[in-house]
Amino acid sequence: MTQIVRRVVVALLFLLVLNPNLLAADSSENNEPVIDVMGKVVDHDYFEIFNQKIYLPRIFLVEGGLHFYRNTQSAIESGEFQMVDGTMIRADGAPVSIDFSITSHLLFVWFGMILTLLITFWASFKYKKGTGGDTEPKGSGQNLFEVFFVFIRDDIAKEYIADNKHTKFVSYLFSVFMAISFMNLFGLLPWGASATADLTVTATLAAITFFITQFNGSKDHWEHVFMFPGVHPLMRIILTPVEILGLFTKPFALAVRLFANMLSGKIMIVCILGLIFIFTEIFGPMVGVGSSILWVALTAALYILKAFIGLLQAYIFTLLSAVFIGMAVEEHHHQDHESSVAMTKDVQI
Amino acid sequence: MIFIASGGGILSFNTGFAFWVIVSMVLFLYVMGKYALPPIVKALDQRESRIKESLESAEIALAKAEQISKDNKKALKEAEIQAQKIRKEALEDAEMLRTEKIEKAKQDAEKILVNARNTIEQEKKKALVELRNEVADLAIKSATLILNSELDQIKNKKLVDNFIKDLSTHI
Repeated sequence: MTQIVRRVVVALLFLLVLNPNLLAADSSENNEPVIDVMGKVVDHDYFEIFNQKIYLPRIFLVEGGLHFYRNTQSAIESGEFQMVDGTMIRADGAPVSIDFSITSHLLFVWFGMILTLLITFWASFKYKKGTGGDTEPKGSGQNLFEVFFVFIRDDIAKEYIADNKHTKFVSYLFSVFMAISFMNLFGLLPWGASATADLTVTATLAAITFFITQFNGSKDHWEHVFMFPGVHPLMRIILTPVEILGLFTKPFALAVRLFANMLSGKIMIVCILGLIFIFTEIFGPMVGVGSSILWVALTAALYILKAFIGLLQAYIFTLLSAVFIGMAVEEHHHQDHESSVAMTKDVQI
Repeated sequence: MIFIASGGGILSFNTGFAFWVIVSMVLFLYVMGKYALPPIVKALDQRESRIKESLESAEIALAKAEQISKDNKKALKEAEIQAQKIRKEALEDAEMLRTEKIEKAKQDAEKILVNARNTIEQEKKKALVELRNEVADLAIKSATLILNSELDQIKNKKLVDNFIKDLSTHI
């Protein structure tokens, strides 16, 4: 009991050291919202660490010409570009065709990939030396790695991609799972961001799954999209557009699911922590500090949930990719057709 | 207003960014699929096939061992039966030998007894003959002694002859 009391007192002391009024007053001066929720989740032209902003290179493609700058500041200072309403345009008013700038989210995408590569090469080196191949895997690291790898291979790839075609896709599924997991979990770091909370990233990942699915589609897959064996020809008028639409809704669902889950988690955390500042603004610093116990506890709970969701969403993305690939590569056996046709006839009678 | 913060809303699709993601993703997937993962896949497959093989060979070895132990048991049983047979035979032989020996001993004893009896009989006869001679001598000696004093030679002879005749008839 005394331990709990002591802990609460210590926590209160820590909270008193913080001065939310200062931060709140700072932002309320210049007509900005108390806390910029969207600013926390959108892409930036700088990489923030320990409250230090490292501005990243900007690369613009304007009317077929590429322009390189060390950062946004130098682009504006050079006089060739200007910032209008938060977007960069060329000094003569020509809009930027494609913005190839290195952004914070891109950095986190790279971090996720690099971390995956490092871990995989480390494990690969161990396996090449014989540990795990000739003997049992040694050490928690290799065991953990193997748990994930074997899980992806056996419970996702082998399970959903039929006819022993899964071997080709294991490396894609594993790479994507690991990279997305790390991208998701980077959002939990103090100055980190979830790259997957960016529609561009998830859409690109989903597009890669889409292309892999379509390029590996079997004859049966395309036949089912356009021809519908065993269905009345007139039905094709309705079913073919639906199926073609279905080709694109699958990756769309993949992209939006991952994006929305990661974004909502981030927004929730920022909003709930932001309540401290909003309460301070409205009811005064005492209420803000007092209620912060609740908000911090809630945030901690959300953090645990988000860590879980980070892995879960990576798993779901991988699983659905495997399901879509499995549906496309599957070769239907003729017996199934006949039986299914027979079934529909039975039902019609 | 908030939605367009830092150059685009949260739902915007940035083509340049997507280009970077695709390029790095393709590179990443290529390196992963070409260099990082194959050794792991190979090692795991090898291990799995080896485990499978060793399990199968263990099963075969177990079946073999079972067969061997079955054979052993059978051989043991056979050997036991054989041993019992041998023992029985040996017992029978021994019994036969024993009876034979006893029989022989009995016969031997009988023979010895007969021999002894014969010998005794002979000895007895010999002793009788000796005794007779002795008695005759003694008689003669005593008679001589008596006759020397009383009779002449002719009478003596007659007397002795009668005596001997008597003796020989009497005995």
